[in-house]
Amino acid sequence: MNVVDATDRAEAHEDLEPPSLLTIILDTNPHAWALLGDSLPLSKAVANLLVFINAHLAINYANRVAVIASHAERAAWLYPTPAHARKQETQMNGSVSNSHAQNGEGRGGAVQPPDDANKYRPFAQMEYAFMDNLRKLMDSTTTEAIQSSPSTMLAGALTRALAYISKQTSTVPTTTTNAQFNYSDPSSVAGGNDLNNDPTSNQTTQGLTSRVLIVSVSGDLADKYIEIMNSIFACQRLSIPIDILKLAGDPVFLQQAADTTGGIYMSLSTPQARAGLLQYLMFAYLPDQTARDHLIMPGEDGTCLLCGSHLSMANYGQKPAVVPRKKKGKKKRIADSGVDTPGSGSGTPIPV
Amino acid sequence: MSMTASQRALDYLEQLPGTTFTKLYQQPSTALAIFRRMLPHLAKTLVMAMLYMPEPFATTSLDTWVKGDAESAQAKDRALSILQRLRILFDAPDAKGRSGIRLSEQFAKSLRAALTGGGGEHRSFGVPCSTADATTVTVEVLDTFARRQWEAILYYVVGSANTGLGGAANISQGTKTLLQKGNYVRGTARATSITQLGFTFLLQEVNAQIWDLLIVYLNYSTELRMDPVDVLSFLFTLGSLELGISYSTSNLTPTQLQMLEDLSDFGVVYQPPEDKTRYYPTRLATTLTSDAPALPNSNLSSTTTTSTTTDTTTSTASNIPSQNEKGYILLETNYRLYAYTTSPLHLSLLSLFCALKTRYPNLTTAKITKKSILRALALSITSDQIITYLTTHAHPLMRLSTPTLPPTVVDQIRLWQLEGERMKSWNGFLIKDIGSQEEYEKAVRMDQMTGYFRGVAVKRKEAIAKREAEMSVKKEVL
Repeated sequence: MNVVDATDRAEAHEDLEPPSLLTIILDTNPHAWALLGDSLPLSKAVANLLVFINAHLAINYANRVAVIASHAERAAWLYPTPAHARKQETQMNGSVSNSHAQNGEGRGGAVQPPDDANKYRPFAQMEYAFMDNLRKLMDSTTTEAIQSSPSTMLAGALTRALAYISKQTSTVPTTTTNAQFNYSDPSSVAGGNDLNNDPTSNQTTQGLTSRVLIVSVSGDLADKYIEIMNSIFACQRLSIPIDILKLAGDPVFLQQAADTTGGIYMSLSTPQARAGLLQYLMFAYLPDQTARDHLIMPGEDGTCLLCGSHLSMANYGQKPAVVPRKKKGKKKRIADSGVDTPGSGSGTPIPV
Repeated sequence: MSMTASQRALDYLEQLPGTTFTKLYQQPSTALAIFRRMLPHLAKTLVMAMLYMPEPFATTSLDTWVKGDAESAQAKDRALSILQRLRILFDAPDAKGRSGIRLSEQFAKSLRAALTGGGGEHRSFGVPCSTADATTVTVEVLDTFARRQWEAILYYVVGSANTGLGGAANISQGTKTLLQKGNYVRGTARATSITQLGFTFLLQEVNAQIWDLLIVYLNYSTELRMDPVDVLSFLFTLGSLELGISYSTSNLTPTQLQMLEDLSDFGVVYQPPEDKTRYYPTRLATTLTSDAPALPNSNLSSTTTTSTTTDTTTSTASNIPSQNEKGYILLETNYRLYAYTTSPLHLSLLSLFCALKTRYPNLTTAKITKKSILRALALSITSDQIITYLTTHAHPLMRLSTPTLPPTVVDQIRLWQLEGERMKSWNGFLIKDIGSQEEYEKAVRMDQMTGYFRGVAVKRKEAIAKREAEMSVKKEVL
């Protein structure tokens, strides 16, 4: 021992990471997905995305997630289910939800997945709501709407994301009396199954770290230039990084968005790279800000030290999948749009 | 030095043989729970990054991925060390013979199953009952039950410190034996006295208390020839269940059925008395594998005290849980402490380190004095425990300010402890007989960059390495 000095004793605290809110904007523009065609159908991308979301929720109990679809003619919530949609749902099948309410604790019918002992319930709830909303979105999409707008409503989705993040961030420090995560409450999100009022954990003071992930397939965004730039600057001000995963299309604004806000930008332009989507998500996009403090993220400081590993990752799609293949959910084809959405099977669709 | 609950569970897991881990990781719920609860943040990130990698992750790639500064390097070492101790990560050279790491196959398979919901019919996330229960069991009922059971245990421990306050609640003989095994109390069945460990136990937050007791239970269960894998798996399963839902006992092993009875003694699960085929996890169970507090703080007292007065207050108390969940302690900069509580349990806990002054119907005043703190220290209660306890149970008004507690008081409590303490201990490795003087100096120089060593003894050519740096030091020094 060089020095026996007892003054620095206050260290023995386990440092707890702040919970993180991941807001995913999924570009569901049917035109663009149709163009991607067989190399990466939407169903497969969604399956990969669900595993990614589960992984995010698994990392920390207080982690939250929100998914917004940037659709052809509007932006829509995929998860959590917005309040008014849920209300309609409950009215429609009121008797069903009543029996559920008696059975459980009034969790309501809309986000009620089938009971499955093989799946962690919060994951199942999230997936069920997500797939349900995505299917409804696709069902409600008319041919005319698609024909009239070949672009995607990224600006709207980004604004919604920002509003949601701001709301969540402001509610976090005051949730000290919030008893627990309530599945019947549409404003709550999966993974928040905690009391969140443990002052020793310091979570209240650390607050929520938020980030946005845009999974983009559309190219032309020029008509919404001002709105998008405004949102980007707002993110910059709030120091919310915008991560961009570009699957197709011309990247001009989005690259700038990632650059301005300190997010990650990657473009998976080849079918090979797209096949390794899940690995890209898990490797590059999963680390939250706390972890990024210790990691060199792709594109940082103008150099890409990760390139070596990423190049090799491009081959992953060709290798046999590590996951046992499971029966896929039934598919539903939407007229004229050429987009597949997997049905809401009880299990997560397995990435292939 | 108080250990966190996960640290304690980690220490327990670490001493298990490797085959036990293989068996444990067969359950997706266990893999998920260990992933969530036991791993440091960077380790989680690393595991997730490697989860879908078909090949070992080359060490060189890992080094380029993690930033080069000392702090990140330490975080990396810590992550790798814990992963290896939990048998999640193994060294594996890749195809070209370069050194690399890979995940334990069983663990990776189970974690993937947990994320995707596949992996066959493992049913490790609990089988919900398909039929409705004859009597509705609400979350409030469960909370009350959990609180009553758990508080009875605390009462028993406190009661052995001060017989005037405890004694009201009854706990089963098994639990009493367990508390003795855990060395929280000692003595005969008639007259028990609290031990130092007992004090430590009392002042922890509830989650840590449960883990403590469960680990004692785990150790004890091997004596009863229960399979520790069965016991552990069930505990981790409990952690992933949802509050307010009844689960079926149909898929449980005989060991786990036996556990159910013991656990309902602790208040961790609730079994309706008329229907033994189902069980409800209480909040104590569902927060087992999270960092969330297991019981809303002062609920601990309110129900038991109100239940002794009138039934109406109990019902109103459960209707407005948000008010009950708040803390009850106000601490001023002049060392005065006001406790808005009527619970004898709270008072006897406070009396461990405060001098109680006046008692009103709903308020007790006390003062923190040097004498009272020193008395607590003599019982081997640490200043950190006192401060944590005060913080955890701070009144909402106190929480409005940051820091929650007045810094002067906190510092003074620490200083009082320092008066009696000049030594500090760590777990580490003694490295000695390092080749030549030159090599030794090289190692010491390296330490200045990496911070692996806790201390060096130049004359004897020895060094003490930090525990988490074991791997790196072995690699580079030896």
